[in-house]
Amino acid sequence: MLFLLIAFSCLLFQFFLPWWIIGPLAFGFSFWKAYSGRNAFQSAFYAVALLWAVIALIHTLENENILANRVGQLFMLPAWNFNWVIMLMVTALIGGLAAGVAALAGYYCRLAFTKR
Amino acid sequence: MKTFKAVFLLAITIITFVALDKKLGMMPPLGKFLNPFKGFWQKAELQQLPDKNFEIEGLISEVEILFDDHAIPHIFAENDHDLYFAQGYVTAMHRLWQLDFQTRFAAGRLSEVVGEKALELDRYQRRLGMTYGAENMVKELEKHPKIKAMTEAYADGINAYISSLSAEDYPVEFKLLDYKPEKWTVLNTGLLLKLMSATLAGGSDEFYMSNALGKFGPEVMNDLFPNYPFREEPIIPKGTPWKFKPIEPEASTGTSFIGHTDIKTREKREGIGSNNWAVSGSRTASGFPLLANDPHLDLTLPAIWYQIQLVGPGINVNGVSIPGAPGVIIGFNQQVAWGVTNVGSDVLDWYEIKFKNNRKEEYFHEEGWRKTSKRIETIKVRGGKTLSDTVYYTHHGPVVYTQKPKNFGKASNIPAGYALRWIAHDPSVDVATFYYLNRAKNYNDYRKALTFYTAPAQNFAFASVENDIAITANGYFPLKRSGHGKFLLNGSEKQAEWQGRIPVEHNPTVLNPPRGFVSSANQPSTDRSYPYYLNWDFAGYERANRINTRLTAMQNATADSLRKLQTDNFSVLAQNVLPLMTQALKSDHLNATEQEAFNLLSKWNYTYDAQSIAASIFEIWHKDLHKKIWDEFHDPEKPMRTPSRDRTVQLLLKEPQSRWFDVVATPVKESREQLIQASFKFAIDSLSRKFGLLGKKWQWGFVKNTHIPHLAKIPGFGSGLLFTGGSKTSVNALAESNGPSWRMVVDLGRTPKAYGIFPGGQSGNPGSVFYDDMISSWTEGQLDELLFLRSKEEKNPRIKGRLTLSKK
Repeated sequence: MLFLLIAFSCLLFQFFLPWWIIGPLAFGFSFWKAYSGRNAFQSAFYAVALLWAVIALIHTLENENILANRVGQLFMLPAWNFNWVIMLMVTALIGGLAAGVAALAGYYCRLAFTKR
Repeated sequence: MKTFKAVFLLAITIITFVALDKKLGMMPPLGKFLNPFKGFWQKAELQQLPDKNFEIEGLISEVEILFDDHAIPHIFAENDHDLYFAQGYVTAMHRLWQLDFQTRFAAGRLSEVVGEKALELDRYQRRLGMTYGAENMVKELEKHPKIKAMTEAYADGINAYISSLSAEDYPVEFKLLDYKPEKWTVLNTGLLLKLMSATLAGGSDEFYMSNALGKFGPEVMNDLFPNYPFREEPIIPKGTPWKFKPIEPEASTGTSFIGHTDIKTREKREGIGSNNWAVSGSRTASGFPLLANDPHLDLTLPAIWYQIQLVGPGINVNGVSIPGAPGVIIGFNQQVAWGVTNVGSDVLDWYEIKFKNNRKEEYFHEEGWRKTSKRIETIKVRGGKTLSDTVYYTHHGPVVYTQKPKNFGKASNIPAGYALRWIAHDPSVDVATFYYLNRAKNYNDYRKALTFYTAPAQNFAFASVENDIAITANGYFPLKRSGHGKFLLNGSEKQAEWQGRIPVEHNPTVLNPPRGFVSSANQPSTDRSYPYYLNWDFAGYERANRINTRLTAMQNATADSLRKLQTDNFSVLAQNVLPLMTQALKSDHLNATEQEAFNLLSKWNYTYDAQSIAASIFEIWHKDLHKKIWDEFHDPEKPMRTPSRDRTVQLLLKEPQSRWFDVVATPVKESREQLIQASFKFAIDSLSRKFGLLGKKWQWGFVKNTHIPHLAKIPGFGSGLLFTGGSKTSVNALAESNGPSWRMVVDLGRTPKAYGIFPGGQSGNPGSVFYDDMISSWTEGQLDELLFLRSKEEKNPRIKGRLTLSKK
């Protein structure tokens, strides 16, 4: 549930807002819906990692991975044709971690600042 | 505890997001950059050309842009304004970041985007007066309303494209460096043209010439640095009559040479040069003239040139443009074709300034104290700081450095306390030349177009369907005495100053010479009969000699014969000196590797083909020999210019007993032969160390290591190794990252047929197939036929995309 909320809201908002909107969204939804730290982090991580990977994949496939392979070299990868896979994973990881941390913060903030 | 955990995690979250949103050193802002909604993935474009209509503000009527299979735009407009507007628009569409970066570089505004590390470079560009020169161009445009309107329409087109973008559409380099494109101005066009002057007419040898003069005296200098070369093959054929009465520079009692300066210098590099030629119909298969051009420049991606066809009322021109300037620079139309190479004329001099005191408000001149004017340069540095730098301007020009910056290579050839007199500061309307050439119908139009041109001076080769061929060394040439400006000059002497210009109609030119072709390869413009002085130092004659030899032998020439000449790897230098050099080895004891190398060299055909091993050996050998001969000129404390290649060849062939063969550091007296032998051993040793046993790895294509770097040297955005032949003394002057930046051959006739290629592609986006799609044909020495459309209705299978711009 939390996974879907974060994934869809991030998909929607990122079309017109900067990338960091994933932070408030992950924070907010897990503040509201998460039932454990693990649940918060995992849901947000997978939601954003998957979302970013899918969107990046759509772009890179129609580009025959030319750009991602070149950008890979910028990140010290060798000049070969598989850099795009690594770039895709790095992208998913960075997006996922950022969202995950925000979600974790959201969950613990609820624990700390609300009484139930 | 709960609270602590919450606060801690919140802090971690904030730090994470801030860090991912900020550029940290070389690292792009990772969150922003990797985000697939707005970051770099957005520039992983669909590999397909547009087919769409777009409504846009600022057009007078509709413009149709057709894209061919290399994404080259063919623009059809109903008036001049819309034509140049559309040129600006598509150039920005393909090359926006290059436009921004190059003008920032020229203007000294890189610190704004890359921070403190570019500060010294920015200072240098500003102190050279790049913006000052560009401003003078903009002022001059007021006198030429048609040209002003052209540059403004071009700027409006670029800006129309920029304002159609949102952040995710910005080129990937903007995302990497984390900044935004800004509005284009006519001043930027000026800056770009000044950058061309800086590249082609911005070098100077005066300092190390003065150092050498101080050490060796005038007699040696006259012997080793003559005002005219040993081997000559001038651009204007010998015996061409001068049809004008020359004007005399004012009489003088001699020049004010200054010796003994203690400046560190950098050698002027060879390789910024070019070839062009035109062959008369009497020598071609079709009976119509052929024209060829290949300008040699530092190669970069995105490519230096941008191909384009411009069609409108009174104009249908095809060729290459420079991103940032309207019009076509090298190209052809239905009636004429033209191409350019650099003229190595001396249009830059240094004048010593004696300030009255430390306030630098006045300086001495023989006619009385003169006042400086101050120009305050304000440099914004990314990250907050804003610095200001004061440059003092004299009547000569800016005093580039009053104190030299430490550890900044680019400034090392600039003497402190000297004012720069440079043609690039003067008012000019160079764009007008191209405006009129693009519309030229015949020889007279060509001659008229050239009168507008100032700098960097170029040899304009020309051919017309009326079977005229011509070449003109063209630009603003200051009126100088022989040898004027060979050394540093005294800024207080009136007679050391330029005395106006050589009248433009006196510039060296020839129309339809008897030999049936014209050509240039940066060698001296004329023989000694020309009544004016242009410079003492030009490129060597080798490329010109090869071109002329082959053109002389050519009958029934076709476009393909000219293509083959453009990619000719033969070295006249090797032909001239190698027999003597191998002869010297015969008396020496050689080890096995050296013997093998000797055998290869003995059989070598003097051709720098990619597979040649002999070429690699000869290249390192003759370079080291040059260094060993002129060891007297090596002084880290007081660097000097070494004599030219031409003078070195003369010494080797004609002066075997010369004292210069002796190596001063050794007690014995070396002979010419001993020096040749020592250099040979050095060459074999250094190749063995770097490439192992003599074998495939020694091939010239590997040793030369040709590759094309990205404009900002971003790793992964350049090309890999390109296994190619060519050398600086071959017609195919392709060195490591420097060489033919555009090759064009035009076959005039009832319908012109033209061929061209450049090492790169139309798009500036590293994620586009059109970023480097022309490199492989270029590497193989092939040309593509240039699509020359007569009307927008023409159906051609090579048209792959369309963009219709209509007014909003």
